[in-house]
Amino acid sequence: MSDDLKIVGLLCNWCCYGGADTAGTARMQYSPNIRIIRVMCSGRINPSMIFKAFQEGADGVFVGGCHIGDCHYDAGNYKWSRRSKIVEDILEEFGIEKERFRHEWISASEGEKFQRTMEEFHKTLTKLGPLELE
Amino acid sequence: MSYVLAKSQNNEILEAGECGGAVTSILKYLLDEGLVDGVLALSPQDDVYDAFPVFVTDSEDLLKTAGSYHCAPTMIGDLVQKYFIDKKVAFTVKPCDMRAVEELITRHKINRDNIYMIGLNCGGTVSPVSGRKMIDLFYEANPDDVVSEEIDKGQFIIELADGSEEAVKIHDLENEGYGRRNNCQRCDVKIPRKANIACGNWGAEDGWTFIEINDEKGQELIDGAKKAGILETKSPSDAAVEGRSKVENIMIKMAKKNQDATYPTVSEMTEWSRCISCYACRDVCPICWCFENCELNKPYFKDEANIPPVPIAFQGVRLSHMSFSCVDCGQCDDVCPMDIPVSLIFDKLQKKYYDRTGYVAGVSDDIKPPLYSPEKTEL
Amino acid sequence: MFEIKHTLCPSCSVGCGINVILDGEEIVGTFPYKRHPVNAGKNCLNGRNSIECCESKFEDIDSEKAIADASKEIKSCDSSEVSVICSGYDTIEEVEAIKNFAESNGFNIGFYSDDLKNVDDVASYDELAAAGKVFAIGDLLYENPLIGRRIVHAKQNDAKIYALSKNENAVTFNIADETSTSSVQEFLDKFAGEIDDSSVVVFNYVDEAGDLDKLESLSCKVLPVFSKPNTKGALGIVDPKSSDEMIELFDNTKLLLVFNDDITEDFDYDFGRISKIISFACCENDTTEIADIVVPVKSWLEQDGSFVNAMGDEQNFSSVIESDNLGIVEVIEELNK
Ligand SMILES: Cc1cc2nc3c(=O)[nH]c(=O)nc-3n(C[C@H](O)[C@H](O)[C@H](O)COP(=O)(O)OP(=O)(O)OC[C@H]3O[C@@H](n4cnc5c(N)ncnc54)[C@H](O)[C@@H]3O)c2cc1C
Ligand code: SF4
Ligand code: SF4
Ligand code: SF4
Ligand code: SF4
Ligand code: FES
Repeated sequence: MSDDLKIVGLLCNWCCYGGADTAGTARMQYSPNIRIIRVMCSGRINPSMIFKAFQEGADGVFVGGCHIGDCHYDAGNYKWSRRSKIVEDILEEFGIEKERFRHEWISASEGEKFQRTMEEFHKTLTKLGPLELE
Repeated sequence: MSYVLAKSQNNEILEAGECGGAVTSILKYLLDEGLVDGVLALSPQDDVYDAFPVFVTDSEDLLKTAGSYHCAPTMIGDLVQKYFIDKKVAFTVKPCDMRAVEELITRHKINRDNIYMIGLNCGGTVSPVSGRKMIDLFYEANPDDVVSEEIDKGQFIIELADGSEEAVKIHDLENEGYGRRNNCQRCDVKIPRKANIACGNWGAEDGWTFIEINDEKGQELIDGAKKAGILETKSPSDAAVEGRSKVENIMIKMAKKNQDATYPTVSEMTEWSRCISCYACRDVCPICWCFENCELNKPYFKDEANIPPVPIAFQGVRLSHMSFSCVDCGQCDDVCPMDIPVSLIFDKLQKKYYDRTGYVAGVSDDIKPPLYSPEKTEL
Repeated sequence: MFEIKHTLCPSCSVGCGINVILDGEEIVGTFPYKRHPVNAGKNCLNGRNSIECCESKFEDIDSEKAIADASKEIKSCDSSEVSVICSGYDTIEEVEAIKNFAESNGFNIGFYSDDLKNVDDVASYDELAAAGKVFAIGDLLYENPLIGRRIVHAKQNDAKIYALSKNENAVTFNIADETSTSSVQEFLDKFAGEIDDSSVVVFNYVDEAGDLDKLESLSCKVLPVFSKPNTKGALGIVDPKSSDEMIELFDNTKLLLVFNDDITEDFDYDFGRISKIISFACCENDTTEIADIVVPVKSWLEQDGSFVNAMGDEQNFSSVIESDNLGIVEVIEELNK
């Protein structure tokens, strides 16, 4: 898998980042296109970070947070979930396919879900091809 | 909520006022009783197309503010926020002004206790330069001879110095690209019900102002002005109340039609390619209040190399910060040197937010979980 | 007290209106001047920032002393070695006073107009917007946005847009049908056959003097756009010098009097070679930095005056704030005493 697609992954320290770790330790294969940025909580992610990633050349942006109810900061993932809707609405207006932006709740033990999600996302992006911003 | 017809007891004000001079009389009452430090209202400068906000502290000076200026699409929200933060002020508001003020109140940028909002119903405003051109093209009159304008029964009516009137159907003007500003054509908030009172000509008899009293403070204003002997009131007939609500609904329906016609085109906008990153749209926006702290000024977003900017990294950022609070005042369109219809996308996103939450910027009471509250709800 | 007042934008020759917001004696912001026929309330970033000049005024210069010092210097110098620089930042009234001052004292006068010159019959902004073809020389959308807007209007009226700029990322290119980064000469030659009487050529620079003759001999209207608000007005009063002539003037000058300009911005010249520089300025700039004497004068916000914009309209403006300083006209009166 040596394509140029760039995926930026913003992963919550307490869950999804652990999930990626679990997948890694268990040597599960997933596409190497993802560049992981660890954040303390999905509630810390602003829409502008997603936009910045696209502007800087990401072809897809992935956000991973704790399952609803499991956020270490109580309600961070609720915040993120509401923001994600706005992100979708805005991307659509600027001609960025909403499939290029994905978010999932993945716990530290769900290495396999992380692997599966990455594979799916990579497949979606392969179909869409590189993002061309005018 | 209740309704009255009101008329000034002061002949000069009655003469100068648009309808019954009620608004000017109430402002006079507030000043004379010392209930406010001053009043912000519009006053024409070089001509009727050139009105802007003036700060009046002596009620003698109010006469020059009376009347409705349809070619003066001003915005009061950011002025109150920036320059009157610790003053007691009364000011007139069109619905978009009121909505901006409401949004700023929820952001603790304006203190409700310090202000009186005197609402004016609004059928729309016309940009002065294109308004003059319109009069030149569609009327038999010289734009310089116009002493006042009015929007009534679907027509844009001008009154000339000699007292004569001329009317052209708004629909015809707007089909040709003239008439009310584009955002006004979409605007579906016609009566400012969050102001203390909402004043207008709808439902009013000649020489009277129809007032919808929206809250206790509004009631106190009417009672106080009457007691001070400057205002007389009477009850409107049921037919008048009904007629007014009928016109309001027709106007709203018209606006919705215009929304349906314009929103779908937003994602196909090609205009962004001529954006020169001048930030005029941000700087004028009453909801964008962060000034020097704006995220677009941060080193990680400041992008002087890319002009035009990548839309998602410029307007996208603004949209994510405040589009759900866009009051569709059109100021951003008005000031864009490149004539980019900026408000269209902000307004559309606010409507999408409405679809998800039921929240109408500057109008809804129940603040739905905004993006940064700790509320445990998803959209 | 809060107050809004009309004035003009001093940032380029388009001649936009701008409203300033006053809080007491202080200018705190700008407010759209929507009634102004040139810009309908729209101002570019430079325009809106123009009020910042109040922030760099000369607070601790004793202007009476500065004028006396300047006067002494001027009198001690041979008049043929004194040069006076006027600029498009000076109002009509000031340019006239500067010219009289120079002539009556036998000083040289230097006036630089971006290597452009006066054209009598220019295209108006409306004519530009109504043109069938627009030839834009310079990134007008970015550099003179409120003229650029007329090109956008022309485009919306189905005009064909030909754009030339040295910057290959020029914003004007994004609305143009034909783009080029060539020389002005090549650009005009290439499209000579397409220029007709419905065309307007709008330009804010040329490469060489010959380009101007070529532009003037075209069969269509042209519109030169200058970088300073009153260059067009000053051109009607004083003959301009080319950059080479200006450099020559500097070479032969012992005492340089600069009236409201920043010569360091326009000329890459070692001004250290001039014995004395006196800068008459309203706010700090690189010329006041290198000047031996700075005489503070009123800014355009503090005085009445008039500018002639690129299409030849003379526009008056009135002072929006008070100032203790003298205006250039009054300073010259003092110097003449
Ligand atoms: C642009 C505009 C459109 C309107 N459209 C309608 C309508 O469709 N239906 C309806 O029922 N009523 C409408 N009105 C309200 C109506 O014209 C009168 O303003 C209202 O009835 C009050 O009359 P009055 O005699 O009591 O006010 P006056 O005593 O004349 O006082 C009017 C006050 O409004 C201020 N003002 C004038 N123009 C503006 C402006 N552009 N923005 C903010 N403040 C302003 C004046 O400075 C003055 O203080 C509109 C008003 C405006 C300004
Ligand atoms: S946006 Fe609405 S309230 Fe504001 S001026 Fe236009 S029609 Fe009036
Ligand atoms: S864009 Fe965002 S940060 Fe900037 S002023 Fe608007 S709301 Fe504030
Ligand atoms: S985005 Fe434009 S229309 Fe919306 S509130 Fe701001 S200035 Fe008004
Ligand atoms: S006002 Fe217009 S040109 Fe300026 S930044 Fe906004 S969209 Fe771009
Ligand atoms: S801590 Fe993981 S989403 Fe908040």
